[in-house]
Amino acid sequence: MISVADLLKEPVIPGNYYAADAYVQGDFETGLIENRKGARLIALPDILLQAIYAGLDQEVGQATGVVLFNCGRWWGKNFYRRFVAEVSEYYRRPLAEMEMVEFLQCLKECWKTHGWGTIDLDVGFYQQGFLVVKTWDSPFAAAAPKNTGQPQCAAEAGILEAFFSQLTGRDLHCVQTACETLGAANNLFVLGLRERVEPAKAWLQEGQDHDTIMERLCRTQVA
Amino acid sequence: MHTELMNLYYKAEENYLSNVDIKVFRHHIESLQQRLSTYEFLRDHELEIFQPVADTLQKKYPTENPQTLEQVLRQAIALLRYAAMAMLLNNPEFLQHRLLEWLTEVVNAHQTQTLWSSCHELLSARLKEMLTEAEQDLILPLLDQAQATLVGLPAVVSVQS
Repeated sequence: MISVADLLKEPVIPGNYYAADAYVQGDFETGLIENRKGARLIALPDILLQAIYAGLDQEVGQATGVVLFNCGRWWGKNFYRRFVAEVSEYYRRPLAEMEMVEFLQCLKECWKTHGWGTIDLDVGFYQQGFLVVKTWDSPFAAAAPKNTGQPQCAAEAGILEAFFSQLTGRDLHCVQTACETLGAANNLFVLGLRERVEPAKAWLQEGQDHDTIMERLCRTQVA
Repeated sequence: MHTELMNLYYKAEENYLSNVDIKVFRHHIESLQQRLSTYEFLRDHELEIFQPVADTLQKKYPTENPQTLEQVLRQAIALLRYAAMAMLLNNPEFLQHRLLEWLTEVVNAHQTQTLWSSCHELLSARLKEMLTEAEQDLILPLLDQAQATLVGLPAVVSVQS
């Protein structure tokens, strides 16, 4: 028989660590915002994001994407460290022992609560060695210049690359294959081993869409 | 702080509260007392509430993996805790944000919807045995809200004959 008394002995039965009202705490008097562990958060106004895109475009032109991508990688490295520490402390289990669905829920809620839009993972290409990440309502895409012919969420691509590289312990690369700034409904990112994902960049230059790129990536894999 | 009371405090900035406002205030205070006593009751009777639910659930699903049953029960215990707090705060969104948004995908992934529905029925029935009607009115709608969110079906409204 199941003993409820035993179940009740567990000290904390956790819920949503990243619930926005619990995670983000503000103090009107000091004007500071913090997360529930007391770490400082910063708010990026739209106008600042727009200015970053415009400023970089003026300063470094075509290299804007590379600069943002590298910023994203740094950001992602620290983001991963903090995410792992917070989640494993709250749920009292190392990340490696968490179920996939719990980890995924944490990541989704974390992404949303930080105001980065909504994120979802498509593991349908797992067998072929690729992971597709979908985001939408991205504030980075909203502030970026529109219809430039190239995806603009380089910072997010960098974050995802660093995050999943550390999570899997492999050197992964991330290429964005669809972007809200180009009129797509979602931003799509393909993650995989560097040499396998790299060809996607050339196909992207040719103007191929996400489905075609995925099909070709998987075909190259087989061949 | 309850939003309803907060609103009254703001209203009272320049004037005395009107009779109607005082009535509203009194109503909230009384309701708060009832919420608090219901909360205390749920807190102090967690074991008595859940052990019969666990026993019946296990009888109903004898072939189910006990670990899965334990997991559903653990989630149900969490649900009642969060629901009790949401009741105390008079804020159903508390339950939605703090637990349900997170739990829904977990239940989906484990495909434990059927177990959940049974657990919800058993828990509601158990609470009906233990609580007065007024107390039931405070907590049961929150459990129905959870059921509707987690399993995706409209909550069944029970009609008292």
